[in-house]
Amino acid sequence: MAWRWFHQWGSPRWFYERASRWQAWAGWIAVILLAVGTVWGLAIAPVDYQQGHSYRIIYLHVPVSFLAQALYLAMAIAAAVLLVWRMKLADVAMQSLAIVGFAFCVLALASGAIWGKPTWGTYWVWDARLTSMLILAFLYLGIIGLRSAMLDPNTAGKACAILALVGAINLPIIKYSVEWWNTLHQPASLTLTEKPAMPASMWVPLLINICGYYAAAAYLVFASMRGLVLHRERRAQWVRELVGAHD
Amino acid sequence: MGIERRIIQREWRLVMARPGEVLKPMWFLLLVISLIPLALSPDSTLLAEIGPAMIWVATLLAILLNMDHLFKDDYSEGVLEQWLFWSRPFAWCVAIKLLTHWLFYILPLILMTPIVGLMLSIPADVIAVLLVTLLVATPALTCFSGLGGALTLGAARSGVLGVLVMLPLFVPVVILAAGVITRTTDGAGIGPLLALLAAFSLGAAILMPLAIAAAIRLNIGGST
Repeated sequence: MAWRWFHQWGSPRWFYERASRWQAWAGWIAVILLAVGTVWGLAIAPVDYQQGHSYRIIYLHVPVSFLAQALYLAMAIAAAVLLVWRMKLADVAMQSLAIVGFAFCVLALASGAIWGKPTWGTYWVWDARLTSMLILAFLYLGIIGLRSAMLDPNTAGKACAILALVGAINLPIIKYSVEWWNTLHQPASLTLTEKPAMPASMWVPLLINICGYYAAAAYLVFASMRGLVLHRERRAQWVRELVGAHD
Repeated sequence: MGIERRIIQREWRLVMARPGEVLKPMWFLLLVISLIPLALSPDSTLLAEIGPAMIWVATLLAILLNMDHLFKDDYSEGVLEQWLFWSRPFAWCVAIKLLTHWLFYILPLILMTPIVGLMLSIPADVIAVLLVTLLVATPALTCFSGLGGALTLGAARSGVLGVLVMLPLFVPVVILAAGVITRTTDGAGIGPLLALLAAFSLGAAILMPLAIAAAIRLNIGGST
């Protein structure tokens, strides 16, 4: 049982075919959830008594900030899988997660800046959570940059994995040190352990959007992974048949 | 003690053969610090206020300047491959190498602090605290820059890449050290923060040689 499982996940072809189905599922779930969540959040949810309509950017900002961090965690797990089981697919996953994670990180910073202007009167402040998001973006960039600079792709993957793991150990320390250093940001909008401070009419669409963005991220990661698998296996027979290449 | 002594002795001979390698970062530090009054203003109260932070950042960059030849020469000359066949764990050899690097390249840099501190007219008690934070924090910085150097051994143009990759990881060290210095100038107690800084350094000194050893093995061509 376990061997078959490993064998399947080690097969690029098996993954490629399965992932195309997963990608389609993730895509449709994302479209439906994001449509519901965004329309509800932007048009139906009540106006905030302090921030007016400008608070509505949380329906973008909060989910992408969540994901920017969650994808780093996913990347660190993929890194551990790569180093322990030497699974090639984990390397592909790391590469995709780094790029998608970086994109979400930039989106979180940009949407935060746009929100910051009407609320705090400035696009950027050296607040703890902004700063740690910025550092997270630098960590993502470091991993992407390291991979692109290495000559041997096999070494590149494992070097990135070591860096991702060191970064993952360091990330909580960075977060706490930065938090201690300066805090101005409003506390987290949603936590798993406490009842949200917002009314349900505000946080339900937010929750839907968070799930929607998760699905969207899954869609992007699967799309990117499939492309990378094709590129890596470009000399294999099944890829040549798939793309209709002729010698 | 055989192997440890041989690593330290070899490093000592290399330093004696090329003392310029030790002097270059110190020279860099002096130059950066001299530029600050020129770029900002010669006003001594202003300089004393921002001086410690400037010295910290400049020292950080000077340490990173050294990163490239922490493992690069040993790698291209095949010294690191020999360590693999020694009767000590590879990570232990890496730790000894990091220690010698700290001793021969980074300690002289730290000892420059009083001089550059005087150039920026920082009061003596703040200089003393600055010196302590640097002594406590540099083991962590050495370890991180070692990882940057080790990871980029197999990179095409490693020059600035290692610096870019490692700099974000320095954030907690910089914040804690800056916290210690602000507390000194405010007259508050610095014990707890210094302890945190030391904890970070010790943690890095224990864990990082393992990560660095894995990164070097990777680039030598073996498996992790």
